[in-house]
Amino acid sequence: MLRSTTLAAVALSVALLTPQHHARAGAAAFPFTIHQATLPSGLKVIAIPFDSPGIIAYYTVVRTGSRNEVEPGKSGFAHFFEHMMFRGTPRYSEDEYARVLKRMGADTNAWTWDDQTTYHIVASASGLATLVELEADRFQHLEYSEAVFQKEARAVLGEYNKSASNPRQKLREALRELAFDAHTYKHTTMGFLRDIKAMPQQFAYSKQFFDRYYRPGNCVVIVAGDVKPDELFALTRKHYGGWGKGPPTPAVPQEPPQRSEKRSALTWPAPTLPRLVMGYKVPGFTPKTQAALDVLENTVFAKRGPLYRKLVVEEQKVASLKVANYHKVDTHLFEVWVSARRAEDLPAIEAEIQSALDAVARDGVDAKTLAESTSHMRYRFAGELGTANGVASNASWFVSLTGDIGTVNTLWDAIAKVTPEDLKRAAAKYLVSTQRTVITLTTSVQDDTQKKPAGRRGDAR
Amino acid sequence: MKHPLAWIVSFVLVAGCAASTTSVGHDDQRDATAAQQPQAKPAPTDTSGGNPLVAIRVLLSTGAVEDPSGKAGLASLTARLIAEGGSEARPYAEVLNALFPMAASLGVYTTKEQTVFYGTVHRDNLEAYARLVAELLLTPRFALDDFNRLKKKALDHVTKTLRSNDDEELGKHALTDLMYRRHPYQSPNAGTVRGLNGTTLDDVKAFYRTFYAVDRVLVGVSNGAPAGFAEAFRRRISAGLAKASPKRTALPKPPLASGLSMLIVQKQTRSVAISMGHPLPITRADDDFYPLFLAASYLGEHRTFNGVLMQKMRGKRGMNYGDYAYVETFLQDGWSTFPLPNTQRRQQHFEIWIRPVVPANAAFAIKQAIFETQKLVRDGIPQGDFDDTKAYLMSFSKLWTQDAGRRLGYAMDGELVGREIAAELARRLPAMTKAEVDRVLKAYIRPGDLRIAAVAQDAKTLRRLLLSGKKTPITYDTAGTPAEILAEDKLIEGYPLRLDRRRVDVKPASELFN
Repeated sequence: MLRSTTLAAVALSVALLTPQHHARAGAAAFPFTIHQATLPSGLKVIAIPFDSPGIIAYYTVVRTGSRNEVEPGKSGFAHFFEHMMFRGTPRYSEDEYARVLKRMGADTNAWTWDDQTTYHIVASASGLATLVELEADRFQHLEYSEAVFQKEARAVLGEYNKSASNPRQKLREALRELAFDAHTYKHTTMGFLRDIKAMPQQFAYSKQFFDRYYRPGNCVVIVAGDVKPDELFALTRKHYGGWGKGPPTPAVPQEPPQRSEKRSALTWPAPTLPRLVMGYKVPGFTPKTQAALDVLENTVFAKRGPLYRKLVVEEQKVASLKVANYHKVDTHLFEVWVSARRAEDLPAIEAEIQSALDAVARDGVDAKTLAESTSHMRYRFAGELGTANGVASNASWFVSLTGDIGTVNTLWDAIAKVTPEDLKRAAAKYLVSTQRTVITLTTSVQDDTQKKPAGRRGDAR
Repeated sequence: MKHPLAWIVSFVLVAGCAASTTSVGHDDQRDATAAQQPQAKPAPTDTSGGNPLVAIRVLLSTGAVEDPSGKAGLASLTARLIAEGGSEARPYAEVLNALFPMAASLGVYTTKEQTVFYGTVHRDNLEAYARLVAELLLTPRFALDDFNRLKKKALDHVTKTLRSNDDEELGKHALTDLMYRRHPYQSPNAGTVRGLNGTTLDDVKAFYRTFYAVDRVLVGVSNGAPAGFAEAFRRRISAGLAKASPKRTALPKPPLASGLSMLIVQKQTRSVAISMGHPLPITRADDDFYPLFLAASYLGEHRTFNGVLMQKMRGKRGMNYGDYAYVETFLQDGWSTFPLPNTQRRQQHFEIWIRPVVPANAAFAIKQAIFETQKLVRDGIPQGDFDDTKAYLMSFSKLWTQDAGRRLGYAMDGELVGREIAAELARRLPAMTKAEVDRVLKAYIRPGDLRIAAVAQDAKTLRRLLLSGKKTPITYDTAGTPAEILAEDKLIEGYPLRLDRRRVDVKPASELFN
């Protein structure tokens, strides 16, 4: 029996928004009416009607990512499996699947991250019935040969190789490997290179992986845009109705608490700006703590903040200062990424960053700064909701995190209620030196920026 | 072909009717908020309903082609300094402070012939944002500190990112360098080492005074702004700029030399990135462009499995991550599969992008890309694939303009070129025939005249192998390749490239973009 519920949008508090920006405060941050149904198998189906005439975004979220790669030698497998999902079924061969979507003029792809694998299609609303049929078919009846599997494994190696000249990939790998002892966040979503190289030999495991994770209780279908909820629910009941529950899934090992700082220095065999990444252990998603961390990110590391102003604009020691503060299921890293101009400045830059965090832990943040940060965040989020795809994409993040789309407004409600004291507490507990892993990367070759350019043919101008 | 200078003539008119772009494609966005939040308290400033986001784009018809001799990068640096260097009234840090609460930014990119400043804001902040944008554009601060910061950033980009940290971009820029020798399109838009080092703050000021003029500007505001806003904003921008600019830099004819030529860039890397192409004598302004656009979609639609190259190189052989083809410059917009708008230029080129392959398969990959292109030119597009690609483009082109900024950008391109590409495709595709596509393929695509760029560690070995005339078989470390693919492999490994050794250069990456 299909259940259909409508969640009411939650009105947010206006108290912390500055007067000139209170205009949007009456609306929920995610202001759409959400229609949700759950099939008997456990598959959740969410419709978000949005004024996007003729266009829908069709997302399927699998709540499995590289976090679930618990067996040795299987890092990168969730992402690899995402590729395999385009390789056909007995009913729709790979070529036929691609051809049907092509004739619809669909924009389709997928991505994998730590906690989720997300399949997305943006297409004409008139294609809804076809999309439900196609997607239900491949999620239940995927079938491929070992030969095809092996070829796709090499496309994944190609994906690794395309980014290998960028030191960021190496840094990301090193950061995770050093920061985590037990948890699978130890490897990137791409996986260890040694495991990627061995992927062609994992055909049997791929069948097990599909059987385990591509199951209705672990998946959520989201359709945003020009969609009629009842029509969607009827179609999904028809096409996904036979999808059976799967076997139990292995537990993900939990990371023991970090007691002291971890540190490593890498060299890079080609010219690059010197780099620094500081990853702080922060807990898995809960609205209150995440809200404080999100506001901290948008306060301490904002381009308008004193840290950015000093390091990037005034002293110009730093070329780029960015934060990766993703919402994740388990204890993970709040990452600060720096590209500097001179390797010898890295220690001072690191000290400046820690000092800015320590200042929040000690003194908190004044109410005006806090209000401006939350206003910034609200307007930025509103800016991501201008298309059906933007709406579905944002919804998919929250659904993959908790399984509950209501989380989006729960978080924004918590953000509106963050106090200076909350920021102080979060900074003092998490963004401290004992909780961090620091990696530097510097080039082992001479900087050729200042070399006198040689005359060359063909430079007509 | 439409005369290149037609753009200049039309600019004065276009600037005068810029407000008309504000209505393009926006009526359908009304009442979104009101319809979607029956439970929520209505927001006071949202009383008109509708999508609350408003996009602004200010497009200058100037770009890297107008970098003076010895100052490659000046146009781009000038634009950066306007967007990221503050105004007379407030330093950059205060601009960041003002933009912060509205979560806005002023983006900018400079291509060969266009520079566009753009941003999208919530309607609540539109007036304040527009005031700030006008202030930055009309009274740029041009302070030495900001100039030094942004010049260093541009030099870092050229010497570190392009030369060393991104093989795929390096391959594309090496192809541009090879395709446009002694042509104003040759250098990276960001500049060269010598050009950037030779540029002073006075050069920036002079460039701004010369080229930021009313006869070069097109101002666009998307729907959702209050009545009269777009016209007032356009007037404000126009009133503050110089009245006239010099004639646009003349372009030589597209360099359509015959025969293959190749540049192999040597650097430390674990794979080989490949780009190839040749200039085209047509653009969106020409009727033949549209059937050629369909052909490119069939050969290698960007980041999809629709293209032959992708299906055969990645899909059947597992050679790499992707393989695509284009008939005009294509800069991907963020993480999307769509191109940035407002990169139009008077000359375009055909381009194939082969994403990095393992070194053992580099020669085979180059041959296969040319082999597939040659096959398409020789045999034409199969009727079924023609029908499918036509159906695809009819619908897919409607997805190019999903948000306010992209809708506006496409409308502005339409104003500039005189033809809006999605509208042109919608109008032309229904009557387009396979014969037309086959004809333009033969007329414009020249597989024997491609310029080929590769980024490789063992560049000399790759050169030697390609010049040897020997078979260059693909190496599989996977089992079960189908017999028909193996048979095709035999044809490709022996495909005769007819490379002239005098036209296959090897250069270290450190010598590019000097």
